[in-house]
Amino acid sequence: MADHIEQQLAPTPGERTAIFFKRTDVVRTSLLFIFWTAVFVVLGVVFYPKWMPLVMSTELKSAEAIMVWFTVISAPIAGLVLAITSNAFLNMHRGDTPPPDGPAVRTNGPVVAVWTITSLLFALVAIIWGLTEMNGQAVAAARDAKSAITVEVTGSQWLWTFNYPAQGIETHELNLPVGVPVVFDVKSADVNHSFWPVQLGVKVDANAQVTTVIHTTPTKIGAIDVKCAELCGLYHAYMETNGAVMSKDDFNAWVTAQGGHNA
Amino acid sequence: METPTQSEVSGGKRLVSAIAFLVLGVAVVSTVGFTLHSVSADSQKKSYATVNGTADVNGATLKHAFVSESVFPDDATARANHVNRTNTHPWPFYTEEHLVLPAHSLVTMTLKVYDGGEKLNTNYFAKVLGTVDNTMLVDGQQVSSLAPDAVQHTFTIHGLPTSTQDSLFVNIPLPKMSDAEMEKNGFHTVVFSFVTGGAGEYVWNCEYPCGDGTYAKFGAVMGQNGYMSGKVSVVNG
Amino acid sequence: MSTLDMTSTHSRPVPHPKRSLITRLHMGTGVVVGIIFAALAYYALKSSLLTYTDKVADPLTPHTDNIVLLGSMFAWSIGFLVGIGAFIGPWRWMIGKDLTDEEILYMAGDGQGIKRYFKYCTDHKVVGIQYLVGVMTLLGVGGTMAMMIRTNLARPGGHFVTATVYNSLVGLHGITMIIAMIIVATGPFGNYIMPIMIGAYDMAFPRLNALSWWVLFTAIPVLCSAWFLGGIPTGWTAYAPLSVQAGPGMNAFVATIIIFAVSTAVAGMNITTTVVAMRTKGMKWNRVPIFVIGSTISVALAIPAFPTFMLAMVQTGLDRTFNTGFFDANMGGSGWLYANLFWIMGHPEVYVILIPGVAALMEIVPVFVRKPLFSYNAAIMGFAGIAGLSVLVWAHHMYIAGWAPSLNGPFMVTTEMISIPTGLLFLVLIGTLWRGKPWMKLPMLSVFAFIWDFLIGGITGIYLSDVPADGYLHGSMYVTAHFHFTLMGAALTGAIGGLAYWYPKMTGRMLNERAGYISFWFVQIGFNVLFLGMFMAGAEGQPRRVMDYAAVFAHSNMISTIGAYGVGIGMIILLWAVIHSWTKGTIAPMNPWGAKTLEWTVPYPVPLTNFDELPVITSDPYGYGKGK
Ligand code: HEM
Ligand SMILES: [Cu+2]
Ligand SMILES: [Cu+2]
Ligand SMILES: [Cu+2]
Repeated sequence: MADHIEQQLAPTPGERTAIFFKRTDVVRTSLLFIFWTAVFVVLGVVFYPKWMPLVMSTELKSAEAIMVWFTVISAPIAGLVLAITSNAFLNMHRGDTPPPDGPAVRTNGPVVAVWTITSLLFALVAIIWGLTEMNGQAVAAARDAKSAITVEVTGSQWLWTFNYPAQGIETHELNLPVGVPVVFDVKSADVNHSFWPVQLGVKVDANAQVTTVIHTTPTKIGAIDVKCAELCGLYHAYMETNGAVMSKDDFNAWVTAQGGHNA
Repeated sequence: METPTQSEVSGGKRLVSAIAFLVLGVAVVSTVGFTLHSVSADSQKKSYATVNGTADVNGATLKHAFVSESVFPDDATARANHVNRTNTHPWPFYTEEHLVLPAHSLVTMTLKVYDGGEKLNTNYFAKVLGTVDNTMLVDGQQVSSLAPDAVQHTFTIHGLPTSTQDSLFVNIPLPKMSDAEMEKNGFHTVVFSFVTGGAGEYVWNCEYPCGDGTYAKFGAVMGQNGYMSGKVSVVNG
Repeated sequence: MSTLDMTSTHSRPVPHPKRSLITRLHMGTGVVVGIIFAALAYYALKSSLLTYTDKVADPLTPHTDNIVLLGSMFAWSIGFLVGIGAFIGPWRWMIGKDLTDEEILYMAGDGQGIKRYFKYCTDHKVVGIQYLVGVMTLLGVGGTMAMMIRTNLARPGGHFVTATVYNSLVGLHGITMIIAMIIVATGPFGNYIMPIMIGAYDMAFPRLNALSWWVLFTAIPVLCSAWFLGGIPTGWTAYAPLSVQAGPGMNAFVATIIIFAVSTAVAGMNITTTVVAMRTKGMKWNRVPIFVIGSTISVALAIPAFPTFMLAMVQTGLDRTFNTGFFDANMGGSGWLYANLFWIMGHPEVYVILIPGVAALMEIVPVFVRKPLFSYNAAIMGFAGIAGLSVLVWAHHMYIAGWAPSLNGPFMVTTEMISIPTGLLFLVLIGTLWRGKPWMKLPMLSVFAFIWDFLIGGITGIYLSDVPADGYLHGSMYVTAHFHFTLMGAALTGAIGGLAYWYPKMTGRMLNERAGYISFWFVQIGFNVLFLGMFMAGAEGQPRRVMDYAAVFAHSNMISTIGAYGVGIGMIILLWAVIHSWTKGTIAPMNPWGAKTLEWTVPYPVPLTNFDELPVITSDPYGYGKGK
């Protein structure tokens, strides 16, 4: 059927395109393409924001944006792959003997070229997007270094402790003032851990004898969960503690209550 | 093209065989599961706190519950003190593993501790935390922290604070015994009280590195259930 | 009745080399000698190390327990190989002789029926079946552990098992599955089918072929012994210094990996040599079946990759025994050193797993769509590009390790570039499907499942490789879901497709179709529910490898557990189909799918040397279709 049409190709490229898009399998594939693309767009746009915790920093915001937007950008590619696949599936041949042979297309230069270039562009988008975000975060960290408060984080099997050198307090809860940049200096008293204040969207491993550093600026008031994201033995699952981003006044009051002094 | 010849097994027989196999497979996996479950999970006996009267804490009247624990350096010392427990390994251990405490109560815990000790990995755990006034009584004397190199074990309760349950954090550093005192089966008595919130599941573990030899001394006894760690259930009613 | 099965092998005279030790050795003697060796090593080491005790406070005292255990495990492995006769040939060489022709023929196992599967048998078809049974066993064991994990995680505070047991379940499930998946396609199909596909009489080194299997075999009891030695707390990645701190079970892990690395090196070298040197006349590189290309690239990639894992394990072993401090920062070592060595193996390894699975499906699609493989060259470029790039991306597993933040950018670039060759693999598959009418048989179903699963695995991989997103997602259940979509959804689905496709050639019978369909839908639907639930848990912020979690993750975990049970049921049905059809299935014709590769030109049982006369190849095997 399809081959029959191919035999009487119309002379001009425009007419060939028109005929191509009138082929039933092409029409079906196009509809499936729209369907699958929409599915992926919805998956990305609706579900990720729904699942993710409260976004309390620009870092988490940018992680969420990557998850949502990369899904949207890849939706047409996924849509095309799934459209062709599901069209073939719907077109199946049942029975105990093989179907008749299909067209002997061994390759199609332009298709391979366009496909490769598209995936190259797609990879470039992902790379440039990532590098831009990383650069933005590095610039912000450098800019905010002076105004930042420092929290020294120590992971020990199976608890986190926090030292606020400027405030002179040590605690097992991570409280932070809103809008003030913070630098976490992270180390471990024993095996590897990974410091993960979930709602702040940053993470860095805690190692013995070396200090690793991450920066963020809490943008919203609310509770944060501090977890360990690196398997560290028996009670890794329970290596969690709570904390909060609070107004500056509340933070100062908390520091005072802990016996510290406000810088 | 050749076509396959028919099988000699009837469809009905095949179905029976398949279903039998499925049942068998599920049974095998479940047996493995329940064996593993019975040799490991919650084989620990529960220790219930006894409620006795009420207590006033910061103006509120709460139930007052009591519970006790001991820490022994090994089975022999335990037996010398009439605690019969035979462990797989010759390691120090806490006698009670799973504490069950009433919700919204003042819990007073008494710990008899018989072990020697040394330095903590993280000095923070030399502080008394999460108790009423952040203090404890060591042999009757009020103490709010120990020297980080005079600790034998710590009793540290924590949990998953993100869950809907209230957070509960208690840290008690236990003062070490000198070698001479240990020879004579000496012990310290540590008493402290803390307030429980609503019902919830927590864990406790020791933060003193008592796992001989291996990295950070957190191997061996520290890495396995049943010696230096356990559960804390806070229950209603 | 199944008269076809054994008759033709029985019809030939069985060689009987007189007074040869070889005829008397088998798996049983291997086990006995292995146990004797292990026991001797145990007592010898134990008594000679009595002077040390672990109780001594000096941190540099050797850990006698670990030395004794590691020594006994290696002794078991060597003893088993001695006892099964693996070293008879090398020994003869050493004294300037070789096996007699009769002995060589005996070792090929022809005419020995079922017994040869328990011997040091050099026939590649026997080795293929041994690998198949081994893989299915490992998948069964790993799958059982997966069910326990999901049972424990079904609800918050589950505590179906203790933390010690839970951590061991996760780690041993992981390593068991990884080992199974590394050999899942190249073991059974690479050994049984591939030499026939390229028109060879056997593998290049038949004795090494037997060695690769039996070495691997000795690793299985060692791995299982971890359970009886207190388990492992580290997960399959065995990060140091936690692995140095871990209890005696960790020795089993260390020994398993070292033994397994020997096996893969031997197998990889053998397969690569066979394909390079033993293709039949006329099989130029552009006429080689794509499965052969894929398998070869996969094992060739494993050859440089695994030694780093082996090295890392040797160092872990030394740290655990003699306090060498390679990975101990307090002694001037570094945990980052371990992480680097591990992932220099670890990332290529995921493609070692993936490529043969995809290649098997690429072999299947043209047969069932009756069209040539779309762009054979793109397929090869895809495989080669992935293999080439895969050695340059390892530190994407260490973005947040703090090790070298300034390398995050470069590693992100190389990682995202992998989506280009990966895209080519999709193009080949959909290009072949396009305008085709697929013959809906079991092998073909796997192709559809693969495309869906790998698409999801691939797209989620794109976010994970972007550093800012990884800062949130690393170490969460999201990662676990992502890699199951690639390892299980893609590679295992591909291997199951391969099994359904080659089953007739390997067993002489057709795989039961109805059971296959039922299993397929159980597995695929269950799998998607299971890991979509895990994506959800990860996005919500649940760390991976946790035995307990907060109530906010209750829904997503319940979804996962329900899906997992579906997968479990489906897999049991598949296992039934494989076992039942093996002896009772419909007898398969020589070429049930009407395929054009060489393995379908030989009868079942495949004769000892595959071909009476080697075929001559004049085209690639994809000459389907009309027109053009
Ligand atoms: C029945 C099917 C399977 C189920 C239900 C399952 C389930 C799981 C679960 C629940 C985890 C632990 C998640 C976590 O806390 O991080 C896990 C880990 C893992 N699984 Fe599977 N899995 C299955 C099949 C496979 C297969 C086929 C592979 C093949 C390679 C595999 C490889 C792994 C690996 C490497 C890990 C990581 C272990 C670690 O964190 O050290 N799984 N699986
Ligand atoms: Cu951890
Ligand atoms: Cu302790
Ligand atoms: Cu990787």
